[in-house]
Amino acid sequence: MMNSLARNIELPQAPDNTATSDLTLQISGLTVRRGGTELLRDISFAIPRGGTLGLIGESGAGKSMIGRAIARHLPAGFVVESGEIRLAGRNLLDLPEAAHRQLLGRRIAFIPQEPMSALNPVYTIGAQFREHLLRNGCPRNEVRERTVEALAEMRLREPRTLLDKYSFQLSGGMCQRVLIALAFCTNPELVIADEPTASLDVTTQAHIVRLLRQMQENYGISILFITHQLRLAAHFCDDVAVLYAGEVTEYGKAMDVLSAPKHPYSIGLSGANPRFAGKKGPLISMVGKMPSIEELPSLQGCRFVTRCASATPECGVAVPAIRDIGGHLVRCLVPQAQPLTEEAPPFVTDRNTADAPVLTVDGVSKVFGGGFLKSKHPFVAVSNASLSIHPGEFVGIVGESGSGKSTLARIIMGLEQPSSGVIRLDGRQIGASPEEWRRRISAIQYIFQDPNSALNPRRRLYSLVTQPLEATGESKSQRRVAANDLLNDVGLAAEFGERYPAQLSGGQKQRVNIARALCARPRIVIADEIASGLDASVQAQILTLLQRLRAEYNVALLMISHDLAVVRHLCDRIIVMYRGEIVESGATEDVFASPVHPYTRDLIAAIPSESAEVSWPPEILS
Amino acid sequence: MVGQPPSGRLNLLPAFRLRFTNRTRIVLGAAILGLVVFAALAAPLIAPNDPNAQDLLYTLLPPVWAGGDWDFPLGTDGLGRCVLSRVIYGARIALLVGTIAPIGAMVIGTFIAIIAAYFGGYINTLVSRAVDIWMSFPPVVMALILMISLEHGLKNVILAIVVVDWTRFCRLVRGETITLMKRDYIPAARIAGARHIKVILLELLPGLFPLLVTLMTIEIGIAIIIESVLSFVGISMAPHIPTWGGMVADGMAALYQQPVSLITPVLAIILTVLGANMLGEGLRRALDPKLITRANQV
Repeated sequence: MMNSLARNIELPQAPDNTATSDLTLQISGLTVRRGGTELLRDISFAIPRGGTLGLIGESGAGKSMIGRAIARHLPAGFVVESGEIRLAGRNLLDLPEAAHRQLLGRRIAFIPQEPMSALNPVYTIGAQFREHLLRNGCPRNEVRERTVEALAEMRLREPRTLLDKYSFQLSGGMCQRVLIALAFCTNPELVIADEPTASLDVTTQAHIVRLLRQMQENYGISILFITHQLRLAAHFCDDVAVLYAGEVTEYGKAMDVLSAPKHPYSIGLSGANPRFAGKKGPLISMVGKMPSIEELPSLQGCRFVTRCASATPECGVAVPAIRDIGGHLVRCLVPQAQPLTEEAPPFVTDRNTADAPVLTVDGVSKVFGGGFLKSKHPFVAVSNASLSIHPGEFVGIVGESGSGKSTLARIIMGLEQPSSGVIRLDGRQIGASPEEWRRRISAIQYIFQDPNSALNPRRRLYSLVTQPLEATGESKSQRRVAANDLLNDVGLAAEFGERYPAQLSGGQKQRVNIARALCARPRIVIADEIASGLDASVQAQILTLLQRLRAEYNVALLMISHDLAVVRHLCDRIIVMYRGEIVESGATEDVFASPVHPYTRDLIAAIPSESAEVSWPPEILS
Repeated sequence: MVGQPPSGRLNLLPAFRLRFTNRTRIVLGAAILGLVVFAALAAPLIAPNDPNAQDLLYTLLPPVWAGGDWDFPLGTDGLGRCVLSRVIYGARIALLVGTIAPIGAMVIGTFIAIIAAYFGGYINTLVSRAVDIWMSFPPVVMALILMISLEHGLKNVILAIVVVDWTRFCRLVRGETITLMKRDYIPAARIAGARHIKVILLELLPGLFPLLVTLMTIEIGIAIIIESVLSFVGISMAPHIPTWGGMVADGMAALYQQPVSLITPVLAIILTVLGANMLGEGLRRALDPKLITRANQV
């Protein structure tokens, strides 16, 4: 307590030292507690009028909790222990409940993470605007006009017809635009955007970010932008604060933090993201994971100490003060100048593709619905797709949601039947008989996207990873031996064999998921978005694992992903799908260097660059 | 009483809030059912009289607390038979019907449900339509009609209940199976080379287990009630076998002279069904997969 008060005396200012009166939001020394645990510790940052601050952190870092503290919407048992949250100079924590509620919506607006579920499905878009505007004192006869204006500003086509629509009639991107319009229509001073683009496609994300920036420029509104994407925040925001286990570890100008991170965690985070330009290199995968709430009280000093490669004994003793190092604030005793390097696994980039392809897909189409006497319109999910995979080759399929990439993968695995077309394994068409099914599964295996769904919660891990041995009738002891090898292959200790999936973290579950696919020693593994939904440091671990397995087993990979950086990092060849069709394919380097199809160009332009020089989002997107 | 602390033990109000912990629910339910099982198994040892021995000289004797005889603790019915002995012997039929009929309904309903949900297509449509039509008949009326066309006897009573109530299992298990089929671990098992029968036995059935346990205990209560209704109208068992429903019918005739001969079998039915439902609810909560996951989390 004494300690935290003492630290509050010297309030860290925004690096550009803007005068206090010009600050829309100033948080200083904010500490949130549950029981004896400080979940947020000494959070301090400020947003000048019209400025943008990016709050970056992996899941569990406490970034959403800051937004909830501002909204006075902390979960039960969480209390603000000390600190101030000042909105234009007034401390929000001192306001009575009613006065505070008056600010929400009117002066502070929120853009939520899940656009589809944030709009009430039983009211029309118009009704929800009406309620919001009337509550905030808009005259009754102006409501309709203001709504249409707000929607038109979001570049939504035909805003008038939109008024009578329900949220489920709109796409995710449209819902998010409606929510942004809703947040901005009362002309607030501060908008808190909690991962507003996390559930959207990359091209939609670029649109949304561009609209947000435009709104901000037009009205001079300050934005608190909560995200887990370092590069996105760096390009969109003026300042960024990196959050780790409830502490600000690094705070400074966005481009400085992106191009020259000083805190070992920021360096790790930026090195964990696959590079998008220049030479491909190994990823930095930080060991371990972020401490859980239960583990926090035992960390007396720096909370990153358990994962830090350059930690000294002093790091574990006292909380390091946040101090100015080379232009931005860093909470570290041993700040780094150079990115960490670690022993990299053999990095295979080029493969000999002269061998005969192990798998060829020839003119495969899939049509859902339709047919005689069916009321539904037929939907063409995949149209005339052809591809081939050589032994040991890594091929990536990219495309937005609904582009048919997952359907194509399921057809190759045999989980869906193609409407037309042929799939050949070793040059021979795969038939429908049980023998042919066995031939297929002994050569091709599939890693499902969501390990929570793909791992039977009632099986122990040793039984899960050796599931393919069940069919061949191996004994229990043989299976345990095999399980130890497989768990070792994916970097899990043998003791894990006795655990249930519910006892693992997300990254560990995904490793088990991968281990099971490898059990049958397949020649091709199909991976459906296995790295998405994981935090950057965990994703880096999984990608490094896949590369190591490739070097060891010469397995081919068909990787389905919406993340171009991941595909570029991992794959020799890339296939771009758009609305069920393969619109472009070729060697990864060629496609990235000179994309031909307009959609591929959009896709590449939509990725925030890791370089500070490249401006993003691009001005023109089709 | 004035100085009593607010949380004192003498304050009876909280006891009436009926807020069972789950443990109490399971223990109490199991205790009631245990009592019924004990009565059924030990009937010849604990019953004071032969349940069918008539003594027309001592008809409608009152229970002991109303001036009756210790030879007939709960009095006698209109034919001079011992009410207590008949309730104890009646537990045998209740128990037999209450275990065999639910097991039969569960096996048949679950089998059809899994076949329908797993293979889908026309089988699934056919089964769900059949279940819809089946369930549109009032169950008791359907059982009555069945029993009229069949002979008296335990086998036929159980058959009638199974034929009427397999749909209850079928409908719910089919829904749950369809939900489970959407989990990726089902196709994952197929890709791992498991045959359909293995997928059903190793992946699907363990997931259905909590639902089956719950439905099973609910069905115990339902089977006992259906049997009671059938014996109430006299088409369940042969007349010389004492059943609770038959006792209710007999007791109705002597309602004003000897109400205990009616109240006793009614209480027996209510308590048994309550016990089964409490045990079922308790087990459902204890086996809820979400709660399992949370409890196992380190």
